[in-house]
Amino acid sequence: MATGWSVIIGAIIVVLACLAGWFFAPKGETQTIWRSSLILSFASCYIMWAITFLAQWHPLIEPRRGGLTKHAIHDN
Amino acid sequence: MAPKQDTMFRSADMSMVQLYVAKEIGREVVNALGELGQVQFRDLNSDVTAFQRTFTQEIRRLDNVERQLRYFHSQMEKAGIPLRKIDFDVDTLAAPSASEIDELSDRSQSLEQRVASLNDSYETLKKREVELIEWRCVLREAGQFFDRAHGNVEEIRASMDDDDAPLLQDVEQNTSGQNGQNGDAERSFSVMNIGFVAGVIPRDRVAAFERILWRTLRGNLYMNQSEISEALVDPTNNEPVHKNVFLIFAHGKELIAKIRKISESLGADLYSVDENSDLRRDQIHEVNTRLGDLGSVLRNTKTTLDAELTQIAQSLAAWMVLVKKEKAAYQTLNLFSYDQARKTLIAEAWCPSNSLPAIKSTLHDVNNRAGLSVPSIINEIRTNKTPPTYQKTNRFTEGFQTIINAYGTAKYQEVNPGLPTIVTFPFLFAVMFGDFGHGFLMVVAAAAMIYWEKPLKKVRDELFTMAFYGRYIMLMMGIFSMYTGLIYNDVFSKAFSIFPSAWEWNIPDGWQEGQTVTASLKQGGYRYPFGIDWMWHGTENDLLFSNSYKMKLSILMGWVHMTYSLCLSYINARHFKTPIDIWGNFVPGMIFFQSIFGYLVFTIIFKWCIDWSAPGAGSPPGLLNMLIYMFLSPGTIDEQLYAGQAPIQIFLVLIAIVQVPILLFLKPFYLRWEHNKARGKGYRGIGANSRVSALDGDDEDSNTLDGRASLLSDGEGVAMITQDVGDEEHEEFEFSEVMIHQVIHTIEFCLNCVSHTASYLRLWALSLAHQQLSVVLWTMTIANGLATTGPLGVFMVVVTFYAWFFLTIAVLVVMEGTSAMLHSLRLHWVEAMSKHFLGDGIPFEPFSFKQMLEDDDAAADIS
Repeated sequence: MATGWSVIIGAIIVVLACLAGWFFAPKGETQTIWRSSLILSFASCYIMWAITFLAQWHPLIEPRRGGLTKHAIHDN
Repeated sequence: MAPKQDTMFRSADMSMVQLYVAKEIGREVVNALGELGQVQFRDLNSDVTAFQRTFTQEIRRLDNVERQLRYFHSQMEKAGIPLRKIDFDVDTLAAPSASEIDELSDRSQSLEQRVASLNDSYETLKKREVELIEWRCVLREAGQFFDRAHGNVEEIRASMDDDDAPLLQDVEQNTSGQNGQNGDAERSFSVMNIGFVAGVIPRDRVAAFERILWRTLRGNLYMNQSEISEALVDPTNNEPVHKNVFLIFAHGKELIAKIRKISESLGADLYSVDENSDLRRDQIHEVNTRLGDLGSVLRNTKTTLDAELTQIAQSLAAWMVLVKKEKAAYQTLNLFSYDQARKTLIAEAWCPSNSLPAIKSTLHDVNNRAGLSVPSIINEIRTNKTPPTYQKTNRFTEGFQTIINAYGTAKYQEVNPGLPTIVTFPFLFAVMFGDFGHGFLMVVAAAAMIYWEKPLKKVRDELFTMAFYGRYIMLMMGIFSMYTGLIYNDVFSKAFSIFPSAWEWNIPDGWQEGQTVTASLKQGGYRYPFGIDWMWHGTENDLLFSNSYKMKLSILMGWVHMTYSLCLSYINARHFKTPIDIWGNFVPGMIFFQSIFGYLVFTIIFKWCIDWSAPGAGSPPGLLNMLIYMFLSPGTIDEQLYAGQAPIQIFLVLIAIVQVPILLFLKPFYLRWEHNKARGKGYRGIGANSRVSALDGDDEDSNTLDGRASLLSDGEGVAMITQDVGDEEHEEFEFSEVMIHQVIHTIEFCLNCVSHTASYLRLWALSLAHQQLSVVLWTMTIANGLATTGPLGVFMVVVTFYAWFFLTIAVLVVMEGTSAMLHSLRLHWVEAMSKHFLGDGIPFEPFSFKQMLEDDDAAADIS
């Protein structure tokens, strides 16, 4: 779970969601608004998530912390 | 051709129509169209002054009625009588008939007279009352004085006989114990030939009054005065005035006459007071009786007036609306051209093509109701005028569209940036405002405003109205903030730990609590699946990581947003059928932008995808330096990112540079070539002969023919309709102008690619500031409260919680939210819209009663 492939899998899911948004948008006057808003929302949320994931994929620095208690350190 | 459905993507299809309406039903037609609110009439009498128009008389009469109604309203406010307000959503006041308006006009005329006369008599009575009160004061004060003074006539006389004696020697010194001498004294005043003047004067004039008297009479007077304790109300302007009672004694008739003149000229009111105490008592008695009578008359008048006004208050709001509507209708009718001979009104109007059937049926209905034999005719005409831009909105989209319209009105049928703004505006806001908790507060506030939409609509507080208007924007901003809060893993500056972390602490042997530890990645390639790993929270190098992440995030977001916006310019060029805008602007611009910033984005993602800790991977290059040296010394690579990097970068720089001359010259030279070709074939500029004519094409029903025949024989009518068709500017092709325009566009575009990308870094700065501020707020308030133990701790937790919660709302949500919103606004107006927005449209302003009442400030008072 949650390896490098996630970005690709996520992209596929989002494309499917976009397609669903396009076809299942309520008919009528607001159809364009539904389609545009759904697809843009899916796309922006995916981009944000993917960027965050990629930024942590191969980190160049690691967390460094002082002042931890024994309890906190064995908690994870 | 069946018109396609209007969407928010572009402004609605518009049609120019001509209306031929019989004069008898002109009013009814305009009223019906005003209720429909889909028609924008053009002024066909622009060269006629306001006074010469057909329906000026009616408008004057309605102005008068409106003034009378306002007079009633002001009288009601003065009397403190509440107006029965009307709800425009519930009461749809139908347009009144002509007789109703006449009746209303007559009624308000007579009511005005009645109210005015009542008011007049009330004011007169009030004035009389004040005078009586003043008189009573004078009588009382003078009486006291006389009672005191009678005892020491001798003294006064002595002082007058003796030149050296002080004139204004204090009388009161010797008054005590001499009251028994009244009998002698009463005679002695007349014996001494001393006259006196009594009256009241405003207190602020007393000093001047004394001085003038002293100088004119050379000191030959004796003046006594006292203050009236309560303020008297001036009935003319209802302001309280403080006054003094004075009593002046002087010797001789001339002096008394002088004193009278002076006091009257200074605004004093003189009252007759009798010297004799018995007569004085009678006078006081009489004054009191009269005051009592007057009081009851006053009360009666007041109740009658109030009853009258209360009755008017019941229906005043409705009347105001009726008169406003009627006036607007006549003002609209004044835009029509009137054919005297045929008693026909001719109008030209813009309306959305999709509303044409509704307009037609409305006209038909009005005609049927009036039972007129002459039909009203509506006739669509072709024109080369630019139609107005009409973006149909609903409750949800209205706020977003307003954001765009505040910047400029979109050109007719260009891509409406309002549509993507529904998502991009709140999303970019959320990137800066990313906190789950703060976003949740915002959603709650917005949801409450949406749930109680109806009652809250009536609130007239300016700040609240603004927030209320943007309630759906707030809802979207809140929802996206909650999402970005999850991504940033921030909830009120704390972290969620939903998934297991990808890091584990390396605990060295002999580790003690408090020593610094570092973490390393767990085995197996597991990465934190959603958002930022919570292990980063509270670490020493937390900022180092989030700075790098958020900076790259904002560059990538900016790149996506700008590329998207640039693509909209392609759609515009396609729609307006100007392929030169595609080849001369869009394509070179896109290549220029992508070969620099598209490449930067590629390298950012590429660098993330490489495992730099793997053996032989080398050291990670700095991307900022790479981008700078890509231009400063193309071909030299300090730290390699990938093989073959140098030639690719040289290629990209070259291809970007090549786009500059294309951007500069292609479009102007193409336009010149096109222009010369057209001229070579012998064409002249269009527009010289093109005109809108009501006479072209006759495929309408037979009814139309009647109207048209009448128009044919009437040269004036045609002239009137077609008069300003020639106004449309058909400017001559000027190569230098086109060239200058293109040079400006090129320079702007190329520089803006750089500056706009940098401008998106505000996403990084603001989100960092927001996160740090919420951390500081937590540690300074509630963290202290939690650290305190014992009974004091309970108290501290409560106090610090309230401080924290209040500051979170005020500073982090309201203040930071406003600032993030303004930055998001800027990113849309400047960075995104400059890529495609033409914005030289004319807004569609239909004649609509609903809109008119909403815009009217006076109408706001009565709803």
